[in-house]
Amino acid sequence: MPGQKFTWYNGIGLLLALIFALFPVLWMLSTSFKPSDEWVKVPAVWVSGKPTIDNYLTVLAPEVLLEDRGGLDQYDEDGNLKQRSDESSGGGAQGAIADFLTKSAWQSIYGSLILASGGTALSIIVSLMAALAIARYRFGGNFTPFFILSARMFPPAAIAVPFVIMFSDVGASDTYWGLILVYAAVTVPFATWMLKSFIDDLPQEIEEAAMMDGMSRWKAHLFVTIPLIKGGLVATTLFIFILNWSEFLFALVLTYNKVSSIPVQMAKYFSATEGLLYGAQAALATVSIIPLVIIGFLIQKHLVRGLTLGAIKR
Amino acid sequence: MVTDPLLEIRSISKAFGNLQALDSIDLKVDKGSLIVLLGPAGAGKTTLLRCIAGLENPDAGDVLINGDEVTKWQPNQRDIAMIFDNLALYPNKNGYENIASPLRIAKAPKDQIKSKVDEVAGLLKIEHILDRLPGTFSGGEKQRVALGRAMVREPHFYLLDEPLSSLDFMLRIDLRTELKRLQKELGRTFIFATPDYTEALALADQVVVLMDGKVAQMAPAQELYDKPASKEVARFVGNPAMNVVAAQISGESGDPKLIIGGSSIDLTDSDKTKVPSTKDVEIGLRPTAITLLEGDDSVAAGYAKVSGVVNDLEPLGMHTTVGIEVGGESLVFTVEGVRDYQDGTPISVAIDTSALHYFDPTSGSRL
Repeated sequence: MPGQKFTWYNGIGLLLALIFALFPVLWMLSTSFKPSDEWVKVPAVWVSGKPTIDNYLTVLAPEVLLEDRGGLDQYDEDGNLKQRSDESSGGGAQGAIADFLTKSAWQSIYGSLILASGGTALSIIVSLMAALAIARYRFGGNFTPFFILSARMFPPAAIAVPFVIMFSDVGASDTYWGLILVYAAVTVPFATWMLKSFIDDLPQEIEEAAMMDGMSRWKAHLFVTIPLIKGGLVATTLFIFILNWSEFLFALVLTYNKVSSIPVQMAKYFSATEGLLYGAQAALATVSIIPLVIIGFLIQKHLVRGLTLGAIKR
Repeated sequence: MVTDPLLEIRSISKAFGNLQALDSIDLKVDKGSLIVLLGPAGAGKTTLLRCIAGLENPDAGDVLINGDEVTKWQPNQRDIAMIFDNLALYPNKNGYENIASPLRIAKAPKDQIKSKVDEVAGLLKIEHILDRLPGTFSGGEKQRVALGRAMVREPHFYLLDEPLSSLDFMLRIDLRTELKRLQKELGRTFIFATPDYTEALALADQVVVLMDGKVAQMAPAQELYDKPASKEVARFVGNPAMNVVAAQISGESGDPKLIIGGSSIDLTDSDKTKVPSTKDVEIGLRPTAITLLEGDDSVAAGYAKVSGVVNDLEPLGMHTTVGIEVGGESLVFTVEGVRDYQDGTPISVAIDTSALHYFDPTSGSRL
């Protein structure tokens, strides 16, 4: 409420909400610097007393770590650890060299950037036109907005399997363009709905005034509508980008080794001896939120409402 | 040689679902005139303007500008300026850019834009707000900027959709006077939609009354008041609204008798010629044609005396609106000064029998 005083109990409430919301992020940061014995220690280690960057090395430069541990020489041709005297385990699969130790996460970071940006760009372009058609030209009557959303009513797993089959038929498996198409397809309903609501909020007469002033319909949308829904457009783009950035299921089933993304890579941090490598996962997760944080800061000033203030008489 | 009218509308119809917004409208507008579309909310005024502008496609009918059939043309091809009822200023552009916008779109040279905008801003007395955003404008300033954006170019004609509707009463009157002055001075053609009959009468050369998507009457302003084409028009134009009461006509055609609420009304010979031949009619009587009889009971020639009891009273400062019941029918009229009647007080009034309007009770049209 404007003009209301910010009191100490407002402050405490806000602080609690912040702690609740940010705790997972803090935990992730903390874990990314813990050595392996502290990952799941009871009682919990809040902040490691012996911080390490090994987790980050595992993720970003595994070759350095591998060199420290004796290099590739200690593994045989099949990737199994050669028998050593101090090794008590029974060898075999247990000592198999993990995929992630020979390949850094950079490929998946690069892959995620391409997939998320490409999927978001395609999704926003299609959704913007769809939203304009629905909001301004009553395209498809009352049915279309609902129909569009119905694509989201299935659990993603239900459409993942058909996608796998279709993709292998048309040769889209393990390609960037294939996954970009899927990302656009699954996010267009959300984006269309969000953009439609922003367009609905903008009085149609402003575009019509532009047409009367001499602009064609296309130009009126391009130079009047879009600048005026800029805040909503930016918010929608960020939202869709985050959806794509964190998408796991489709990336997992539709890619093999040429294309990878961060969530898929994260699932690979598993070792037969140590189980899930929480430290490495936390390190990759920390790396993966950096682009989002940067984008968030950059677009902050565009995420404003009230842009249409004074356009019309109310 | 017969010249084409500036704008011609040929039997335009438009429906939204089950609602017939426009029902076969015909209209001709000559260059330099000020036409007012008058009608209550939902009468089709805005839809008609939007069809003329090209923002709405009519279901049937044609729009012609200077003889060219433009029905299928896009709004930007028609060269029409429009002021929307919500004004629709560009919120992200300052006053100057709002007004300059049509010229910028037309890619006019910079110095020409500057001189044009300055000229219009001077005309509308808004030089001081040109560098501010619409969010900081007052209602009147927004109105003037919207007007400026339209005036900065010289289109075929201007469409104004209730542009004064949300302004304060005094400001509305100021701006409407100014609007008429500008229109006459610049010799431009205005088509002005409003639900306010006083605005229509004050502004218009010609008034087109729209009701339920149909043209109810098309007439010069005064004629609209003097000879309304139907009881709906009659009641819409004038405040307090015209009294419309049931009446009977008896007697032979040469010497008809008029009975309202059971009492007979004396008619003069010239009044009698206007009496229609039907038996049941509705009588329209403007409140101004009714005067209160006080003390002396006699009435002048051309007036008929009617007695009844007060059933409504509305003191309005300089005058009082009084309702009286005459044999089951209610009549409203105004009296100078403050009156303090109780309900049921018997009073008598004089009716100007030359000011009677006759309407068909079923169709409502003028007889």
